[in-house]
Amino acid sequence: MKRLFFLLLIILTGCAGMAQTQFLAKGKIEYERKINVQRQFDFTDENSDWLKDYVSKMPKFNIKYFELDFTGSKTMYKPGKREGVSNKDMEWGIGPAKDNIIITDLEKQLFSSKKKVYEETYLVQDSVRQMNWKITDETRIIAGFECKKAVARICDSVYVVAFYTDEILVNGGPESFSGLPGMILGIAIPRLYTTWFATKVQLEEPVESEFVITGKGKKINQKEMETTLQKAIKDWGKEGQKNVWWVTL
Amino acid sequence: MRKLTTLLLILAICISLPSFAQQTTIKGNVGDTSEKKELVNAVISLLRKSDSVLVSFTRSKSKGEFTISNLQKGDYIIMISYPKFAVYVESLPIKGDKEIDLGKINLIRKSDLLKEVVVNQKMGAIRIKGDTIEFRADSFATRQGATVEDLLKKLPGIQVNAKGEITAQGEKVQKVLVDGEEFFSDDPAVVTQNLRADALDKVQVFDKKSDQATFTGIDDGEKTKTINLKLKDDKKKGYFGKVKAGGGPDGKYENEGMINYFKGKKKISVFGTMANTGKAGLSWQDNDKYGGGSNFDYNEDEGYFYSFSDGDEFNTWGGQYNGEGLPRAWNGGAHFSNKWNSDKDNVNGNYRFYKQEVAVEGATRTQTILPDTQYFNNETRNTYNQNINHKIDAFYDLQLDSLSSMKLTINGSHTNGQSVSAYTSEALNEVQDPVNASKRNLSSNGTKGAFNSSILWRKKFQKKGRTISINFDEKYDRSQTNGFVKSYNDFYNSQGDKFRTDTIDQKKESNANTLSFNSKISYTEPVSKTLFLEINYGFRVTNSEALRNSFNKTSASDPKYELRDSLYSNDYSFLVNTHSAGLSFKVNNDKLVYSIGSNISLSNFRQKDLRTNNLYKYSYTNLFPKASIRYNLKAQSRINLTYNGNTRQPTLDQLQPIRENTDPLNIQIGNPNLKQSFNHTINLSFNDYKVLTSRNIYISTSMNIVDNAIGTSSNVDSVGRRTNQFVNVQGNYNANMWGGYWFKWKKLNVNIGLNFGGQLFRYNSFVNGLKNINDSYNYNFGVSINYDKENKYSFYFSPRATRNYSVSSLRKDIVTKYWTSESELGGNVVLPWKMEFTTDVNINIRQKTSVFDRNLNNVKWNAYLSRKFWKNKTGELKLCVLDLLDQNIGFSRNTSSNFISENTYNTVRRVWLLTFTYNFTKNPAVK
Repeated sequence: MKRLFFLLLIILTGCAGMAQTQFLAKGKIEYERKINVQRQFDFTDENSDWLKDYVSKMPKFNIKYFELDFTGSKTMYKPGKREGVSNKDMEWGIGPAKDNIIITDLEKQLFSSKKKVYEETYLVQDSVRQMNWKITDETRIIAGFECKKAVARICDSVYVVAFYTDEILVNGGPESFSGLPGMILGIAIPRLYTTWFATKVQLEEPVESEFVITGKGKKINQKEMETTLQKAIKDWGKEGQKNVWWVTL
Repeated sequence: MRKLTTLLLILAICISLPSFAQQTTIKGNVGDTSEKKELVNAVISLLRKSDSVLVSFTRSKSKGEFTISNLQKGDYIIMISYPKFAVYVESLPIKGDKEIDLGKINLIRKSDLLKEVVVNQKMGAIRIKGDTIEFRADSFATRQGATVEDLLKKLPGIQVNAKGEITAQGEKVQKVLVDGEEFFSDDPAVVTQNLRADALDKVQVFDKKSDQATFTGIDDGEKTKTINLKLKDDKKKGYFGKVKAGGGPDGKYENEGMINYFKGKKKISVFGTMANTGKAGLSWQDNDKYGGGSNFDYNEDEGYFYSFSDGDEFNTWGGQYNGEGLPRAWNGGAHFSNKWNSDKDNVNGNYRFYKQEVAVEGATRTQTILPDTQYFNNETRNTYNQNINHKIDAFYDLQLDSLSSMKLTINGSHTNGQSVSAYTSEALNEVQDPVNASKRNLSSNGTKGAFNSSILWRKKFQKKGRTISINFDEKYDRSQTNGFVKSYNDFYNSQGDKFRTDTIDQKKESNANTLSFNSKISYTEPVSKTLFLEINYGFRVTNSEALRNSFNKTSASDPKYELRDSLYSNDYSFLVNTHSAGLSFKVNNDKLVYSIGSNISLSNFRQKDLRTNNLYKYSYTNLFPKASIRYNLKAQSRINLTYNGNTRQPTLDQLQPIRENTDPLNIQIGNPNLKQSFNHTINLSFNDYKVLTSRNIYISTSMNIVDNAIGTSSNVDSVGRRTNQFVNVQGNYNANMWGGYWFKWKKLNVNIGLNFGGQLFRYNSFVNGLKNINDSYNYNFGVSINYDKENKYSFYFSPRATRNYSVSSLRKDIVTKYWTSESELGGNVVLPWKMEFTTDVNINIRQKTSVFDRNLNNVKWNAYLSRKFWKNKTGELKLCVLDLLDQNIGFSRNTSSNFISENTYNTVRRVWLLTFTYNFTKNPAVK
């Protein structure tokens, strides 16, 4: 009963323009992250025939679910409850920072996150990355919401394609992506051969006081973390570069 | 409401205050045309006109009003969107006014708009498919031998400038793919200027690419314009290969030639090598390129790969030569593979030829420790072996549908071997008086053949983790050998006088064959998300027959060997059939993976002496328990513990009741009463790798305990003759441990490793009826230091020392213990004029013992100087010297029983070699 009341409240408060459309200010989104595992390898070496063979036998996709809770101007992104394909044995195939927890305060433009980078767990605190989103007139429907497409670059050359909906009033998104007029329900990063697409949006109200990161970790800022990793894997070539990109997400 | 307005006003003032003069505020009101209503929460975005980058955005408030402040001068686009309404887009130049009031902006419902008419263009040569414009290459005539660049210049909407940069629909093309793959280089010009236009089927230009799962197929870098060149199927062909010729003084040579031809997914390669420098066969890299490659499979539950390359004599590094003697080796082979029907059909076949001649001169010194005395044996040998081997193998893999597959594998081989050897030996007693002396000449000529085949069917079900597999296999081996033994043995009494001479002059015949059939069915079922169940059933039948005959001359004057010597002859058959069934559970959690299970088997054995019709029948019921635990402590850190129990059957050689007298001073006797042995194996390993600090720790230990181990019972008589019989013994075990610690010393950029290892053995045997327990162990530790500066120089040094110890319970006073040390030192330097110098030094120090008192220390120093030639460095001239100091010594010691031996032999020593290598490649698609 209490829950129903809450739901009603959300609908009533969240949907100011009720007559026309429902706008959501609070809720939970489930994302499906799909990594093309076979494409995480680079075959630049001329002797890599065996590696190609090796990789071709791997399952093509690694699928995992994440949850984004949003309320007011705060979002929390974390691994979801739905079980996907476990990646525990795939670490070498798909690299670091695959189970991030990120809390973003959109008003203050600050985030804090917990990222597992090889043997280290980092607690990163920094200001939200500013992105130059190019807006396009393309649209597509994701989880029942009509989304517009926007494109931006990170790390100088890595393109990020985002699909956002203006029907959600919180300007957030999965991982550390935000800055569009609405909620990002889809992200595709072609050079990482990875997509995040919302599978469902629930009206359930998240508890803001639960937006905390627990557990130990090394406190660090974004720049320091990138430098540390850059140093450690500078001999890894193209693949190493990919891992740095992952860590910056 | 008033509060909000005030707040907004204050906010607007605050924001616009710092740069009051240049900044502009825009405002307006959003409404619905048809219903004359204001629209709340509509998104008002302001984009930069030049590149559509989002500059600012806001949402309309409760009356549909909006304000965006803080705007610089410039050309903008205002975009207003509201769910189910058409997007309003208008350009908006801001020239520096303080405020722009856009007034009332009305949006139109989509349902009110006319349905968009979509026209699909189809102009023969050009097709528009979604986001892709596709050109049929053949429709645009180009001159003979034209490049892709020439073709692109002809395509509408595409321009190519003098630098080779391509523009498509006004945007620069960043990537050119060939069949969806990057080809040679990221630079589009490299591809377009080198590929021939007539190799192309289609040119596809991706405009606004669709971002669905299909994107994973192409590395496009998104909004970057991408051109994909689809090759005609018949143009995916070409060849590459290399020729190497090398020679040096004393007739040394090392020649190789290999070529790989490919066409689409069809691959054909041929190679041949010949060398007398100790190199035999293909190197690992070459085997991968020219041979059939390795065979990998993926284990889905565990998520790891295993390789099931056969490890036969061809596939090992450097072939069959084990370093003993002087070899000459010829190697040849051919490979064919093809995939078709969207890779669902996969066929792969190989033929290999191998010929090797090895001449060995060696000496063995043996110490025999007995309860009351010792013997010392010195033997020298000269042997010459020739082996000629042909081998074929092939598989056909067929993907029946997305969930089931079938694989058919066959392989066969034929070997022809010849061997001639001469031995001289003498045995001395404790006070170094002669006990016996022997001269032996052996010769043999034989053939061996094998044919194996298997068929495997696997099916997965929709339910994840449910699988079924059935396989059948067949193995057939046969061997046939004829030979002669001539042996003269003199025996001495305690006064040192020769009191007896034995002569053996026999012809030996041996014929053996084994045929076995095996079938197995296994099924896995996911009981829950983490619990898996596996059940299996199998049946195996193996039938072996062995005929071994020895013939004496009918009389000394008659050269014919026709008199069968029954003591050394036997005709035997051995039949085993086994039913086996098993059940195992596996629990797969994120941190912890463990499994437990067992197979049970019922085996029936039937041994029959085909001449006397004596029959031995017996059967066993066995359990094969197994268990494993893996615990993932954290990322890249895990512990593994496994246990396995399994049986080992005695071999036919060990069972067949026959005396083997090819060495009359060491006679082997088979034992038909041997029981199978049972092995318990326990492994424990720990691994922890830190990526960020480049630190790795690895420790692994294993223990092996054998019940009813097959050991020997030997009797040494007063004249030093030894008779060995296989018997079951209790209490054998061995254990080993290995570990290391590696880290990077970041300051100096040096990789340092510390490692250790140790082994422990206990062997039980019977010597002259008394039980003997031999305990031996060895341990070693080493250091490795690596430094390298890419493309400049590298250096490494790794010393290692090993301690060896052995003692037998029969004579605890005689202990064998000594140190050995092996160190490696090497490096390379890149010199000017495309030259490179490489060197490596092996330093071996072997401590003498009271018995093994020769100096066996040596330094083996190799050095190479090479220079690369031509464009793309396709040619290489290399001068190398192996074992510059001419000190190489063949050496091995065996201390794991009451017979302690040291074996030394000749091996390849100093070799000077000048080689020239030419790597060639031709791809018709590449100009």
